[in-house]
Amino acid sequence: MKQFLAVASMLFSTAIWATDDAARARVDYALNCQGCHLARGEGFAGKVPRMTDFVGYYMHSEDGRAFLIQVPGVALSPLNDADTARLMNWMLTEFSAAQLPADYRPYTVDEVAALRRQPENDPNRRRAEVLAKISRQLR
Amino acid sequence: MKWLDRLIEGRTRDLAQRSSRRSFLARVGTVVAGSAATLPLLPVARAQDEGSVPESGDPHSCDYWRYCATDGFLCSCCGGSASSCPPGTEMSPITWIGTCLNPVDNTNYIISYNDCCGKSACGHCMCTRNEGDRPIYRPQLNNEYNWCLGTQHQTYNCSVARVIGKAFD
Repeated sequence: MKQFLAVASMLFSTAIWATDDAARARVDYALNCQGCHLARGEGFAGKVPRMTDFVGYYMHSEDGRAFLIQVPGVALSPLNDADTARLMNWMLTEFSAAQLPADYRPYTVDEVAALRRQPENDPNRRRAEVLAKISRQLR
Repeated sequence: MKWLDRLIEGRTRDLAQRSSRRSFLARVGTVVAGSAATLPLLPVARAQDEGSVPESGDPHSCDYWRYCATDGFLCSCCGGSASSCPPGTEMSPITWIGTCLNPVDNTNYIISYNDCCGKSACGHCMCTRNEGDRPIYRPQLNNEYNWCLGTQHQTYNCSVARVIGKAFD
């Protein structure tokens, strides 16, 4: 019985932690991204890239993973590395779980810290290159 | 078919004797209000229902708590409200978002400062408070420029301050 209670309380606190993590990521998203990417990541054709049912495709290549952190809005955001990693991992599963690869692994804080120190200066060109490669790969 | 008429009449009268429209409404009301009270308890942050935010102050005044980072004309003085555009204008979907402290419950709420676009500038209730406003190299937190992006017309008319959630302190 004691064991059961210990396991149950552990599971319960994990669930609370996960919920709190998601709630904090959602608030960070609202305050730093939502103004342009809109509430569900739907974006705006021709102005703001859509993330809903799409952003997960970037996880199909290492270059895509890097791009999502090096894109200026992420790399130069006022969020620290840990909050940025939490936000990106929440966003990928929240907006685009179906597009993630089978071997998807969430960003680590160290990975985000290293990548964002080299921001992309030409995001439109790089985005097109990254997506062309991924779409060839998935074909 | 008279027996059918009698049967239905009897049942209807019986039902009318034993129940009331009020009790039916009360039951429906319980279900509706009950689910409304239960849903927000799910572990999912939902868009803040504006009606549930405790309020104080005058939305026509620049001192109103939601306007803490406003820079522009208040839509509430232009034929709209603190959260809706005047008729004939269009709300820009792309906007900038900040937080304001609600003095009633001492909680920070997430505020979306959408611009209303389409007609000439409203010209009433100019309000410049700029709390939390950041320089233009932080464009997503800057209120100096025209946020009429993604609307049919780019002419600025006025600004709203919609509550879209609660922030962490």
